[in-house]
Amino acid sequence: MNKISISLNLNGTDRTILVYPNRRVVDLLREDFKLTSVKEGCSEGECGACTVIFNGDAVTTCCMLAGQADQSTIITLEGLAKDGELDLLQQCFLDEGAVQCGYCTPGMILAAKALLLKNQSPTEAQIKLAMSGNLCRCTGYQKIHAAVKSAVVIYKDKMAQGGESID
Amino acid sequence: MKAFEFFAPKTLAEAKGLLNQYGESAAILAGGTDIVIEMNEGHRKPDVVIDIKKLKDLAYVRIEGSKIHIGALTTFEMISSDPVIRERVRVLAEAASKVGSPQIRSLGTIGGNLATASVAGDGVSAMMTLNASVVLDSVRGQRQMPLAEFLDGQGVSSRNALLADEIMTEVFFEMPDNHTATAFYKLAKRKSLAISVIGAGMLVQVDGAGICIKASMRGGCLARYPLHFKAAEEHLIGNKISIDLLEETLPMLHDAVYESAKSRPWSVFYKKESVQGVYRKLFAAILEQLNGKSYE
Ligand SMILES: Cc1cc2nc3c(=O)[nH]c(=O)nc-3n(C[C@H](O)[C@H](O)[C@H](O)COP(=O)(O)OP(=O)(O)OC[C@H]3O[C@@H](n4cnc5c(N)ncnc54)[C@H](O)[C@@H]3O)c2cc1C
Repeated sequence: MNKISISLNLNGTDRTILVYPNRRVVDLLREDFKLTSVKEGCSEGECGACTVIFNGDAVTTCCMLAGQADQSTIITLEGLAKDGELDLLQQCFLDEGAVQCGYCTPGMILAAKALLLKNQSPTEAQIKLAMSGNLCRCTGYQKIHAAVKSAVVIYKDKMAQGGESID
Repeated sequence: MKAFEFFAPKTLAEAKGLLNQYGESAAILAGGTDIVIEMNEGHRKPDVVIDIKKLKDLAYVRIEGSKIHIGALTTFEMISSDPVIRERVRVLAEAASKVGSPQIRSLGTIGGNLATASVAGDGVSAMMTLNASVVLDSVRGQRQMPLAEFLDGQGVSSRNALLADEIMTEVFFEMPDNHTATAFYKLAKRKSLAISVIGAGMLVQVDGAGICIKASMRGGCLARYPLHFKAAEEHLIGNKISIDLLEETLPMLHDAVYESAKSRPWSVFYKKESVQGVYRKLFAAILEQLNGKSYE
């Protein structure tokens, strides 16, 4: 088996790596790039724990072969905080107590982030739809939903005061 | 996961060349939502994987004459957000918007759905309702066939007609006109991330007087391939579409499901009843669309 070269923009930095092709993107991120916020849950695309933002869309990385990451842009939870400051969504998850065991949290935050990158004033229904691919087996959905909603409200206020954009 | 060689061709010609070279030992990778899971679980063990997702030219929704052509690599997300599909082809827009989850819709492609040809393939049910055809390509040249024939075909796997060196490039169908209404309803245990219990499609075309001149009714998860409700279709054709006429077909749906699934007693009792509820939803959607349309 020949190794393949994968070049991608990972959390804002251009990276190139040589790997065996028989691994998935979740393995590539966790094991080769040591980005362990990417969680493996069900391994069948059902739970959303391995969600990252891939070329602007939330995707489940357990359904993708490493080679599919070539020439892509990927954002993991590690890429959200800027200059030691948490992303607004991360802060809202903390403030709302939206984290129980924490396993689903990175995927939840990234599913919400993918939505907010495309639509900065989503409706309730749009938030629910965007988060519908992520399961929380502690069943803490209400607080998770409240955290995303509060991020949307705070963000709108910030924008009204001439703040910077969501990314 | 078993070892394999990985190729990501940049052109269709290159992809066909690789398929010709590696044949049965190769597997095509599109979105990966079916095959990567199968490979990870050891159910599929190709020696060569050909990632076709870089063939951006195969992701499109295009109107050509009276037909809509959809590239094999078009994702469910692209299909369900396409303005023409949303406006004109509700059966497909609705089916695409109910596949899996946002994550799966951003990865999964229509070509992959039709090639996998799952009993519960929502794209399969919608495309069968539309009487779609597929285009297969190889170094030997192109061929096209109705989706029904594709699904019946015995290619390199018993799932479909694809031969070892072939790639599906597109699926196309007659664009529903101003006198045509279509609808899809997915019955499942929850709204998201749920495999269909029944994924049913319906198409009705009427003439200027509201008389049905074409009907298509297909129910996914009720047979190996979407169940064809022939008796119900025949009952509609030639008659004026009304709620009463539509309701008269319910016993036919019941009987068709019973005949098809009676060897599966654990599901047939539920499905022969629920299929009627599913089609009531479709009748309402069809009537609403037809009433909203001018009949000239
Ligand atoms: C969590 C989850 C939920 C799901 N929910 C649904 C659902 O609700 N409804 C539903 O219908 N499906 C569902 N699926 C199944 C899957 O997402 C779809 O079947 C999807 O359309 C497959 O497309 P893909 O591009 O990911 O295919 P891949 O996995 O890349 O390929 C699938 C198969 O098709 C072949 N293939 C792909 N493209 C081509 C081509 N152009 N020419 C020839 N062969 C090709 C591959 O070789 C492979 O055998 C779900 C899957 C998951 C993981």
